[in-house]
Amino acid sequence: MWKKKQKTNEDYYLASQWTLMGRKLKKHKLAKLSMLILLLLYLGALFADFLAPYSLDEFDALYKDSAPSKIHFVHEGEFIGPYIYKLEKNIDRTTFTVTITEDTSEYYKIRFFVHGTEYKILGLIPCDLHLFGVDEGSNGGTGAKIMLFGTDALGRDIFSRVLLGSRISLTIPFASAVISFFLGVTIGSISGYFGGAIDIVIQRIIEVIGAVPQIPLWMALSAAIPPGISTVKMYFYITIILSFINWTGMARVVRGKFLSLKNEDYVMAARLSGVSTWKIIWKHLVPGFMSYLIVSITLGIPGSIVGETSMSYLGLGIKSPATSWGVLLQEASSVTDVASNPHKLIPIIFVTITVLAFNFLGDGIRDAADPYK
Amino acid sequence: MFHIPIPIDAIPQTLSAVCRKEVKMNTENILEVKDLHVDIHMTEGLLTAVRGVNFEMKKGETLGLVGESGCGKSLTCKAILGINDKKCKSSGQILFDSEGLGKVDLLSLDQRGQEIRSIRGKEISMIFQEPMVAFSPMYTIGNQINEATRLHITKDKKKSKEISMEVMRKVGIANVEKRYNQYPHEFSGGMLQRALIAMALVCNPKMLIADEPTTALDVTIQAQILELMKELQKDFNMAILFITHDLGVVAKMCDRVAVMYLGKIVESADASEIYANPQHPYTRGLIGSVHKIGSKKEERLFSIEGTVPLAMNLPKACGFYDRCDVRIEGLCDRAEPELTEIAPGHKIACFNCPHEACRAQRAKVEAALNGKEADHV
Amino acid sequence: MNKDNIMEVKGLHKRFTSKGVTVRAVTDVSFNVKPGETIGIVGESGCGKTTLGRCIVRAYNASEGEVFYRTKSGEELDFLKVDKKKMKEIRKEIQMIFQDPYSSLDPRMTVLDIIKEPLKANFPKMPKDEMDQRAKAMAEKVGLNPMYLMRYPHAFSGGQRQRIGIARALVIEPQIIVCDEAVSALDVSIQAQVINLLRDLQKELKLTYLFISHDLSVVEHISDKVGVMYLGRMVEFGPAESMFEKPLHPYTEALLSAVPVADPTVQMERIPLKGEIPNPANPPSGCYFHERCHYCIDKCKTDSPVLEEMPGGRLCACHRAKELNLRGFTYDEGAKTQQAAT
Repeated sequence: MWKKKQKTNEDYYLASQWTLMGRKLKKHKLAKLSMLILLLLYLGALFADFLAPYSLDEFDALYKDSAPSKIHFVHEGEFIGPYIYKLEKNIDRTTFTVTITEDTSEYYKIRFFVHGTEYKILGLIPCDLHLFGVDEGSNGGTGAKIMLFGTDALGRDIFSRVLLGSRISLTIPFASAVISFFLGVTIGSISGYFGGAIDIVIQRIIEVIGAVPQIPLWMALSAAIPPGISTVKMYFYITIILSFINWTGMARVVRGKFLSLKNEDYVMAARLSGVSTWKIIWKHLVPGFMSYLIVSITLGIPGSIVGETSMSYLGLGIKSPATSWGVLLQEASSVTDVASNPHKLIPIIFVTITVLAFNFLGDGIRDAADPYK
Repeated sequence: MFHIPIPIDAIPQTLSAVCRKEVKMNTENILEVKDLHVDIHMTEGLLTAVRGVNFEMKKGETLGLVGESGCGKSLTCKAILGINDKKCKSSGQILFDSEGLGKVDLLSLDQRGQEIRSIRGKEISMIFQEPMVAFSPMYTIGNQINEATRLHITKDKKKSKEISMEVMRKVGIANVEKRYNQYPHEFSGGMLQRALIAMALVCNPKMLIADEPTTALDVTIQAQILELMKELQKDFNMAILFITHDLGVVAKMCDRVAVMYLGKIVESADASEIYANPQHPYTRGLIGSVHKIGSKKEERLFSIEGTVPLAMNLPKACGFYDRCDVRIEGLCDRAEPELTEIAPGHKIACFNCPHEACRAQRAKVEAALNGKEADHV
Repeated sequence: MNKDNIMEVKGLHKRFTSKGVTVRAVTDVSFNVKPGETIGIVGESGCGKTTLGRCIVRAYNASEGEVFYRTKSGEELDFLKVDKKKMKEIRKEIQMIFQDPYSSLDPRMTVLDIIKEPLKANFPKMPKDEMDQRAKAMAEKVGLNPMYLMRYPHAFSGGQRQRIGIARALVIEPQIIVCDEAVSALDVSIQAQVINLLRDLQKELKLTYLFISHDLSVVEHISDKVGVMYLGRMVEFGPAESMFEKPLHPYTEALLSAVPVADPTVQMERIPLKGEIPNPANPPSGCYFHERCHYCIDKCKTDSPVLEEMPGGRLCACHRAKELNLRGFTYDEGAKTQQAAT
């Protein structure tokens, strides 16, 4: 037991700041759960083509606005594994109401690793393997669709759209956050370390830029970009442009941290030892609040995600046929529509979970952040 | 559940004394600490910060608690008032001769209860090391001193303000009318410490715990504050538990001294005795490490080698073993010495001390250890 | 420059201006340092001793004054006026040890890296092995176990961290070290260890120390000469022994009488100082100390005294220095007396 204690003591002594932080983070259950969820979501986005049974442009007149498929396991007393029925539309001659019922004559087994619509891995390699889907029916029929989250007004499978849409919703805000991060840290550190006139000028610039209103700017940029460019590209451009405006918050915080840290004794010791200014900034000062910056990013990304969602919802961001979670929500914007098809609100759950996951992760990192306290 | 606060004056003293177990105390003493342990549960293990502290304080005397960082002196004092962190578990007995509750064991009282709150600030007060952070910057000094008055003495606004201002005058704050309405940032360090003392003394406590009150002050201000405390002690007839690591301050202020090391008291005696005749190797080392001003320059200061070990997973041995220059191998690393009285008022915990009582203890312990060995063999 | 001296401080001033208020942190300080000496600088808060130390190492840029310094190669120059390139060269020879062992080491670097950093910055062409070797040798010299050098600072106690700071300062072989309250944050027994270490190193490596502290006992023990500062001015300077035995400036006398002695049988009559230390942004007229001085005369209220030479190689800034007979303090283990005043 004595030896074991020695080992843990030694571990503690040899552990760098990051190791200590990692250990503390592992104890934070919510953060671990959030990391897992985010990992799953991003893997889902990466392998969306494979995971989704259908692609974005598979319209279907029969399956418009359908509720999620009911998955059955027992057919006529026998257990045959998960299967679905094909849907039938019946129009009542007298009332002209449309009812959709299941055609129980045939069942379609849900198979794994089926061949379906073609897609290109990384845009290059063609492949048509999907994780799951339905093939032929028990009697050889075709045309059944497995709709885990139902379909939208044009018959497209919402589950597939959520997965494929997550590609945009999860990645573009990330890019924007990273750009803002680098701009913010660089400019903020210059402002904070050198102080004096440089600081004053930069702070005034920050204030001017920060005063620019986002939504009108976005609208103007939307209108200014020439038509014909795909919406995804347009969204990308706008995001990049906006990240050149969003760095101000980060810069302010970085400057504040610099102002407080640059008077620490070890910084002065480094100066007296003859270490150059840039080395002092990057080796001594920036790591001092790196944990704070990480927290800032993890808490800033959900902001961007919600931002993208809001923009697309307002019709200013991504537009159909390109898909993002915001587009999906926009299609569910009519109250009557949602009242009769509540399954269209499922993308909200995804947005919420993602935002919460980033928040809890950020919380966890923040709590673990100063391992020396 | 609703908690209806019952002011302690409403309960007749006999009733409260009947409800609580009556403790026996020497009538001369105002405080008796018996076998106090404070343990802190940490993720790395159990930190036994205070490992069995015993001492008494007579009414009106000044006891100095001397020790370096990590010896547990702050935790001991906070345990007396019950203001330790939730993570700290205290056990043992802290007997206090109070006015409101009679002779009572402070550790038996609920840490959040009404009873101990009637003692805190009223009968036992505490002043801290950094006066700059002891006051809230949001309220005036007068307001904060008044808080104690209004809590314990009278709720009448005018009367309590008068009492507060009177005590501010007593601690030597000039221009009290103006100062009463000023904020902490407008006071200098020495003034703040006086204000802190005022806040502690406003209810005329029987005992004052001073946790390194002058460490953060300049030497001339320190001298002023120490003199003030001595004067006030006489006026208020209160006992002072003075915690410090500065041996000069102890010599100036204290009647008796207790030296703490690694959670235990290793030596306690009258001040003059302990400086003239230190018996424990740690005490000797401490006194030798300090250069007395005005004396001839020595080549080297006596220094105790090594550093204070962490109070976690301590083996059963004398805590000072690793650093002691007179340690006895085979004895001091296998057993812990207990505090024994070697002269009236002079107690020491050391196996190597030549006095009668210590040698008797040593013989007993050696016999017990040999007996154990014989059993094993 | 006098050939006996390694450093001569002449008329050093440092002013801080913020929002229209000028604080005179250091005013007209002058003294000389011989090689191998330890100069103690004492004073209370606001006296400017820390600022003085930082001006001497050029961590702050002094507003006025000169610091003449003789480099290892024998060159004599004004350290405050050298250009950037020359300063980088000479920086190696004047180093500093800081007060707070917890904030003076970068918590994100291993101890070995911390000690190696000055080598990396000043001798970039030195091979890595040699750097490692030198760092390890220096660590051993200050009493650190070389096995533990891969640990991070949080693994070490206050005293050990201070040793790391000392190793870092010494690894580039400086001549002068400014110790800015280097032992004030340490426990008494650790203080003794570090003080002994500093003295041993001084003898071995022939160092010169500028020891800044508020603790008079420590300063008396370690210093050859002592300078007393009050509100930015140096009021007295001279050999430690004679100063403590018989001070020349009233402030020194008051300071000595206020220091508590670790012996309860000593009865010291304290010279009470009225009032508080004045605000450095708004100092009194004439002699800065006149409002609190017992020996104040009219002249003191209007004329500011300058440091004058007194017998015994001492300096004192007091109009009445020659006529006053002030009380010092000697401690004799046996007799326990204090020198009386007239």
